[in-house]
Amino acid sequence: MRYLLLKKANFDDFISSLAQIEKVVAPVSRGYNSFSFAEVKSGKEITLKYIPTVLPPKKYFMPQREKLTEFNKAENSVEAILEYEKMVIFGVHTCDLAGIQCLNIVFSDKPKDINYLVRKNKLVIIGLECNDYCDQYASCKVVDNHLPNGGYDLFFTELDDSFIVHVNTGLGEEIVEKTRLFIPNDQEHLNKLEAIRARKREIFKEEVNVKHKDLVTLFNDKAFESKVWEDLDKRCVACGNCTAVCPTCYCFDILDNINLDLNTGDRTRRWDSCQTEPFAKVAGGENFRKTRGMRQRHRYFRKFRYPAERYSRYFCTGCGRCTRTCMAKISLKETVNALAAEQKYKK
Amino acid sequence: MKKAKLTDSEYLVKTGKILRTKQMTKLEKYFEIALPGGENLEHEPGQFVMVSVPGVGEAPISISSSPTKRGSFELVVRKAGKVTGVLHTLETSDTVGIRGPFGKGFPTQILEGNDLIFVAGGLGIVPLRSLINFVIDNRRDFGKVDILLGCKTPQDMLFGEEVDEWSKRLDVNFSCTVDRADPEWKGNVGLITSLIPGVTLDPERTFGVVVGPPIMYKFVIIELLKKNIPERQILVSLERHMKCGVGKCGHCQIQNYYCCKDGPVFTYDQIKDKKEAL
Amino acid sequence: MKPRVAFFDFTCCEGCQLQMANFGEALLDILNLVDVVTFREVMSERSEDYDIAIIEGSITTDHDVERVKKIREKAKVVIAYGSCATIGGINGMKNKFDLEEIKKYVYKDGAKHFSTIPTRAVHQVIKVDYFINNCPVYPPEVIKVLKAALQGIPYEVPDYAVCVECKLNENICMYDKGITCLGPVTKAGCNSWCINNGNICYGCRGMVSNPAKNGQMDILQKYKIPLDWVVNKVDMYNKPRELEEEKPKK
Repeated sequence: MRYLLLKKANFDDFISSLAQIEKVVAPVSRGYNSFSFAEVKSGKEITLKYIPTVLPPKKYFMPQREKLTEFNKAENSVEAILEYEKMVIFGVHTCDLAGIQCLNIVFSDKPKDINYLVRKNKLVIIGLECNDYCDQYASCKVVDNHLPNGGYDLFFTELDDSFIVHVNTGLGEEIVEKTRLFIPNDQEHLNKLEAIRARKREIFKEEVNVKHKDLVTLFNDKAFESKVWEDLDKRCVACGNCTAVCPTCYCFDILDNINLDLNTGDRTRRWDSCQTEPFAKVAGGENFRKTRGMRQRHRYFRKFRYPAERYSRYFCTGCGRCTRTCMAKISLKETVNALAAEQKYKK
Repeated sequence: MKKAKLTDSEYLVKTGKILRTKQMTKLEKYFEIALPGGENLEHEPGQFVMVSVPGVGEAPISISSSPTKRGSFELVVRKAGKVTGVLHTLETSDTVGIRGPFGKGFPTQILEGNDLIFVAGGLGIVPLRSLINFVIDNRRDFGKVDILLGCKTPQDMLFGEEVDEWSKRLDVNFSCTVDRADPEWKGNVGLITSLIPGVTLDPERTFGVVVGPPIMYKFVIIELLKKNIPERQILVSLERHMKCGVGKCGHCQIQNYYCCKDGPVFTYDQIKDKKEAL
Repeated sequence: MKPRVAFFDFTCCEGCQLQMANFGEALLDILNLVDVVTFREVMSERSEDYDIAIIEGSITTDHDVERVKKIREKAKVVIAYGSCATIGGINGMKNKFDLEEIKKYVYKDGAKHFSTIPTRAVHQVIKVDYFINNCPVYPPEVIKVLKAALQGIPYEVPDYAVCVECKLNENICMYDKGITCLGPVTKAGCNSWCINNGNICYGCRGMVSNPAKNGQMDILQKYKIPLDWVVNKVDMYNKPRELEEEKPKK
């Protein structure tokens, strides 16, 4: 739609005035070079230069625990419900914008998930550009997420003493109206933005020895039998960290909870991990992914092959969280490179 | 936190009233269930429903009756976990939550006019019965029909009276085997695979429909392939852990398939290269 | 009629019973559902007529064995309550030593007046229907298990690592802070209670049934943590796991 400018001097006012209208969440520092999205009241609480948060903003779109139905046994009634909260999410990197797009696709695939689809439109997304690599674990270029590909209401790019802001939607315009801190930009600012993007095109290189389009073919039937998974079998401890932090992992469990009156209660879905042992076990005891290696293989194929076949999109956003968080130091880039080497792939 | 009521959620359940129950074996219990106002479930043979008890949870259960049975449907529940354990305590006029029907059932339109060989091992008869009775109720729409059943012992045979009826019919060929016989048993003894070589069939126009425990599939499919039945004419129904029933929660995934949505019925052709399928 | 509940304590600090007394409002809801007939810490009456026995503490003498067997005979439902009851807990540390020697060390000349046997968890002596792990018990889990028991449905202690829950709480990994934590080998279900509050996991819920031996060794090597040091840490709560083969068949 259009570009506007926000002076850095006004950033704190911007967040605090926004926080008066709506709940605002943004990346805050947790120490030890860790960050998480949390509620903020002022811009000072926000860390603008952050590496991907421990959990991605997925937690607002698909809460860790979400009530689906409520029941009353005595009245023999069940109601389907949605619990939601209006919120502005500030500071979403392009990798996480891509993650949200992946979730949108999954939950709008038929049959549609009404809970997700209604909730997502209660959330305002303000993106924030990474002008440089966050760290050595990221691989956003190979999956093409180092530059913005939509999925936001406003998008901030840091210039010298200001942010150039892309206003992408009506919701974004509303924020501009309500906060009254944005000013028109000059051509000079657009030139600077273009210079940043040009520099990014230079410094962001495919982080693995595989081309973007070839990732899906790398995860072929032969790769299913690869030695790589035997290696991961020995190293993985099935702590489930990689799936918890992944912006595109959406597996869940559904559990009943009864209240202490033993009459009313709810059916709740909760994040689940395909890396845990019981995940694919049927009631009779058969486990269809018995070993940690099989489960790791499943995770990788769920990022690079199955969604590519179903939705023509990789479900790896290149955020690097799974590698960053892995206790066993299993690295996504190393795994992909090992597969490429095994298949004697040439870029 | 705001709360809204949803009328179009996939997780809304209908109240199913239990009309009849029967303890079939120590582990298997039969239920006949009606939806409010006698609404038909409108399922395809081979589909499943999510059955729930509030406060306990949900479990995926195959529909055992043919859609030609109107006004109510039938389930057979094996006691294997928390939800099925509680289901076993329920009796006539108790209620359960029903979601569904879900998944792809047997492709009856494609089967129409063709010869059919049904192979059911153990509990496999539960989902397969929905198709067998559908075919029997529409008998002239299908070609030659062979029914092969197998189970551990004669006591494990489910739907004994109905199976007796099938065996007496002149319009189906019926054979049956048990792993271990008792003195009264007059049928075959041995694995179900031993029944297949004796069947005469025209592979071009025959569909093999196989349902049973995971270990059975490989061996039965080998026998059917030996009979030259094309891979895309062999149908199987797979069991997986399922939570949502609508292709989201990930538990039932077989490579790129969601068993609950893309299955549970697959052609052998679809799954033969899927390493985690059989 | 409401189910009758009795609390029993064996070798323990009784802190888990105290935890129950501290429940506040939820305790009132629980008392609407059950009649507590024996609870030494909060009431003087006691009754031998009960449906649900909640057993705290580990089994450390022959007399304990006899007493706990009698409780099993009377109770319809037995709940092992707290680390000592579910996994043996810290009382299990004595299993590392020669029992006669350790008795003399503790009781000096009085040792001859005491009998002792290796510390066992309750399920290593009698059949247990429900397990409420943790030291002390984690209140939300206690309520969950009580509700399951009252509904007559099983409760399964999660058989995956504390890390699964810890990451969902966005805690910073203790290993990244340079601190050894038993989260990777300990059963979840406590919502990473200790780590949320800045402490490490001490393994008080018992070990996951299928820990990744290879992977765990890699991690220890990576962080330069000696194996026997970690085994020592695990043994603080988990030593009686070695008696698992003594589990009764029933």
